[in-house]
This record gives sequence, C-alpha cells and structure tokens, in this order.
Amino acid sequence: MTQDAIVAEDLTYRYGEKTAVDRVSFNVAESEILGFLGPNGAGKTTTFKMLTGQLKPKGGQARLLGMDVTKNADKVQGEIGVCFETTNLYEQMTGLENLNLFARLFGMRSFDGNALLERVGLGGRGKDRVETYSKGMKQRLMVARAILNRPRILFLDEPTAGLDPTSSETIRNIILEERERGATVFLTTHDMMEADKLSDRVAFMNQGKIVALDTPHKLKQQYGKRALKAKVAADDGRLEDREITLDTPETPEAVRELFSREKVITIHSEEATLEDIFISLTGRGLV
Amino acid sequence: MNWRIIGTLIAKDFSLFFRKKLFAALTIFGLIIYIVLYFVMPNSVSETLKIGLYAPVVPPVFNQLPNEGLEIDIVSSEEALKEAVIDGKYVAGISLPADIMEKFNSKQKPTINLYFTPDVPDEAKDAVVLMIQELAYMQTGQPLSIELSGEILGPDTIGQPIPPRDRLRPLLAVFILMVEMLGLANLIAEEVERGTIQALLVTPMSVKELFIAKGITGTGIAFVQAVLFMVLVGGMNQQPLIVLITLLLGAVLVTGIAFIIGSLSKDFMSVLGWGVLAFILMILPSFIVMFPGVITGWVKVIPSYFLVDTVHRAANFASGWSDLWSNLLILAGFCLAITWIGIMVLRRKFQ
Repeated sequence: MTQDAIVAEDLTYRYGEKTAVDRVSFNVAESEILGFLGPNGAGKTTTFKMLTGQLKPKGGQARLLGMDVTKNADKVQGEIGVCFETTNLYEQMTGLENLNLFARLFGMRSFDGNALLERVGLGGRGKDRVETYSKGMKQRLMVARAILNRPRILFLDEPTAGLDPTSSETIRNIILEERERGATVFLTTHDMMEADKLSDRVAFMNQGKIVALDTPHKLKQQYGKRALKAKVAADDGRLEDREITLDTPETPEAVRELFSREKVITIHSEEATLEDIFISLTGRGLV
Repeated sequence: MNWRIIGTLIAKDFSLFFRKKLFAALTIFGLIIYIVLYFVMPNSVSETLKIGLYAPVVPPVFNQLPNEGLEIDIVSSEEALKEAVIDGKYVAGISLPADIMEKFNSKQKPTINLYFTPDVPDEAKDAVVLMIQELAYMQTGQPLSIELSGEILGPDTIGQPIPPRDRLRPLLAVFILMVEMLGLANLIAEEVERGTIQALLVTPMSVKELFIAKGITGTGIAFVQAVLFMVLVGGMNQQPLIVLITLLLGAVLVTGIAFIIGSLSKDFMSVLGWGVLAFILMILPSFIVMFPGVITGWVKVIPSYFLVDTVHRAANFASGWSDLWSNLLILAGFCLAITWIGIMVLRRKFQ
C-alpha cells in the first residue's frame, strides 16, 4: 500500500477576518500529479504556502511524507522542491552560482549544476548572470532550482504562466520526468489544457474551499456533457450545425435519424473542458 | 544550528555585497578617503596661549608680560571679550575693572573677571590664574592682593589638547560603520522585495540560521572596516582591547539598525531615505568630540554617543576599564535592544 505523500486535513487560514482557506482536506498519493485549479483569490497560493511551510495554518494540519509540516518544517523542506510563481533568483549571480548556492543549502556534496542546466535547456549559459536571461530562461532556472535536490514532492506554482511554447514544453516534460522518477507533484495553474494534460487528478478551488476533486476524465463524465457535433448540408447548400447529446437512452435513435435524414458533411465528438466544468460548478470563470 | 548553512549564506551575502558596485566602491574608497582626511588634519596643538584682555586702565606691570608662549589682544569692551571667548578666538579672557589702580593704591582688592571656554584644559586655566596673581604681586608687592572671579562660557566639558585629527577619529569610525549599515540594509530589502528570501525559507535553512548569517555578515563587514581604519590611523595604540570591543559593539549596533531599515524599506531609495535619517542621528554625538560644548547632554539618549565617547576616551586619552565600563555596558544594552527590535520587525516582514 502506498503512503500518501501529501495529506491536508481541515487546513484553514485567515487573513484578519477573511477566511482564505476554509477547512480544506485532500490527499495526494506518491508519484501522483495533482493539478490545483482555481481563479485568483481562491486560496490556491495560501494552501501552497501552508503545505510548503511558509505559512502556519490557523487550523487543521498539513502532513508531507508522514511529517507535520509545522512541527518538522526543516526536515520536510529538505525533501521538497518549490518553484514560485514570480521569479526570485539572485539576479547578480550566474545561473550556476544560483544552483550551487541551493545545492549547498540542501547539503549536497556532489552536484553537477551544468548537467542540470543542460536538462532544462540552459546548457552553455551557466556562467552568465541571471539578469541577462529572458523570462523563459529564468523560469527554467527556477524549475532547475526546485528539482536540484531530487525532491520527493515537487511544488510548482504557475510554472508556465506567460512563457513561450518552447519553454512551457520543456517545463511540462520535466514535470513528467520527475513524476517518472517517483516524485509527487503539486501543480497550481490557470492553464486548463496543461492541467488536463499533466494531472492524474485535479482539484477545483473556489472561495477557499475545494469544490471538486477527481481525475479529469471522471470530472468530465460527472459534470460535463458529451456530445456529437455535426455539420449538415441544407437543401439550399448552406451548412447547418446539429448536436446530439451522448450517453442518453435517446442517443442511438438520434444518431440513426441524423444519418438517414440529413446529408452529414463533418461529424466529431466533443467533451466538456475543465473550464466548462469549473464554470458549471462555481458559476464563475478561472481568471 | 547548522554552521554549513550559515557559512553558505555568509559567503553568498559577501559575494552579493561586493557585486553591488556602489557599496563596493563606498567600502574601498570610503576607507581611503577617511584615512586621507585623517592625515590632512593638523597633527599638533599650538602651544601659544591666546588671551583677550579688556582693560579700561592698563596697570604698568602688564606691559612687562612675557612674549614667549603668550599672545594678548586688547579688546574694546567686556561684552566683546566674552563673545570672542565663546567664538573660540581666545582660550581665556581677562577683564580688569576700571578702578584697578585706585584699589591697588588704596590697598583694596580689585576683582578681576576671568572667562574660559568649556574645553580649556585645567593646566591652561591654572597658568592664567597664576599669571594674574604674579602680575598683581609685581604691581603691589603684596601677595593675594586681588579677588579672582572665574566663569566658564558655555557648558563645561572635559577637554585636553589633542590634535584635531585625533578628535576626528571616532567620527570617521562611526561614518564607516554607518556606510556599511546602508549596504546591509539594502541587501536585506532587496532579498525581501525580490522574494529570494522565500526561496531560502523553503530549504532546510531555519530563520534562526538566516539571522545569524545576516548578523555575522553585517557585523563582520562593518567591524573589519572600522578596525582597519583605526589601525591605520593609530587609533589602536592605546587601549586596543577596549577600542576593539567598542567597535565590535558598534558593528552589532549598526547591524541591528540595518535590520530595522531593511524591514522598513522596499528599494534602494527607501533604504537611502531611512538610512540618511539614521545616519544623521547616529553621527550627532560625534560632534561633541569634534566640537566640545556645541551639544549638550541630551545626546546621551542616542546610542552612538557611548560608542563615540568610548572610542574617543580610550584611543585619545588611554582611559581604562574603570572609566569606561559603564559606557560599554550601556552600549551593549543598546545593542541588545536594537538588534532584538531589528530581528522582530524583520521576522514579521519575512512572514
């Protein structure tokens, strides 16, 4: 039986009178990628901070690898890697110096910074000061810093926000490689496609609470509407749209009728997106 | 406590400190400029006593005053004499009464007023008093033929003739400490503002280790600079241990202030704004050493007073532990209090 890498029990945080995170509970298994989704102000970052030991919960408990984060912050932090949403590198140091500094803080005696830079696509730029890097390069260096200690849990806060497609793809590949290595990944993102593509499960957070948590497939089944979308040619030659809802008792008859009575030009199935589900659950978008 | 982590953080802070061109330049050129400034100041004290004399009637014997080591100017009124003494033109002023000769002739004792500046050494005062008594004796042939009334113009302070550049030493030492304070405050403010502190706080490093590392970096840079300066300008020739301990406490004090400024500031400009305010405040007590009498006792509420005063008295007058222990104790108290406040406000900022 695999142990849960992350356990949050009734996790609560308040900023003055405002409850930012309200009795949130969830588990993340080892080697699982959990996508944590929600609009700005939903409480994602506060949850992220409590899990990584940056904030002390006002209520409830967070356990990583069986250890209480509040009581064993230093120990826990030796086992995790964190990539922040905003760039927080030492800009006047080189890329390699940044990595070496953190490797020393993690007590790593043999550390090959150049190999890691190569892995994130920054080979040959290790001796340049970070202030000369582009946004995408800085973000890739942030990811490199987060994984340099081979963390058992990797926390990523919007790792691909605002990046070019190449940098985003590099980072997504690294996330999958880390999962392959055995790391658990806690990923907060606005990007529904990314969450859908990478996550084993996704959690929707809204107004400090988790409103749904499951695999993307099950969420789509549970909350989404599958449909067939067709374009048919009318008598005057114009194209018209037809939609047949799937998974209902009437579906077979409707499909038969479509093909027997209409001239079908194109047809494809369509699933609800995670964004559609989020909107249907909360009545609001993700921005 | 993990000293490997602390060592790593210190190395990082030193590296970042000297990569800031402004602070690296200030550190190196500041030291050079302060040393040059010290050496271009006069290194000797004039042995000639300049005295002002107001005498409506000049007794004949005053014309026999010795020329060597004495320079006497006649002034037009008693008020003008007092002003000149306050302005530092004369170390002493002598005011003879208009009826001095009548009193001498009638065997009465005329009253002669003497005026001194606060920092005139006792030896100089005694010399002036003796000279007047001698002249009166020569004039009347009688001992104790006059009444003397002495008055200190301005607040009295202890003073001894030391070269102006040696008076400058504590001021420059405080300058050095304060400039390094700005560097550390800027380093902290940037660390918070750029979020690098968050990246450090999610590693196995503890907040305690972070504070120790920052404290050692700030104190180390300020202390080494100040000691280097004092060694090069001869400030360690007397009571070196007391001077060392005082400078170390001073370095801790400015590190505590840097913590406070770092927590209040968001960028270099705000560091500069808060820093200049602290700078002016902390530098004030140095003027009591440079220009005795210009500032009164209220400066003792400023922590740097005990730093300046101790360095001044130890380095310039070889004052020992028995004279300075209370100063050191108060300075240590200020260090503890300010460093504690600095840690508290900075901890809040980190969280």
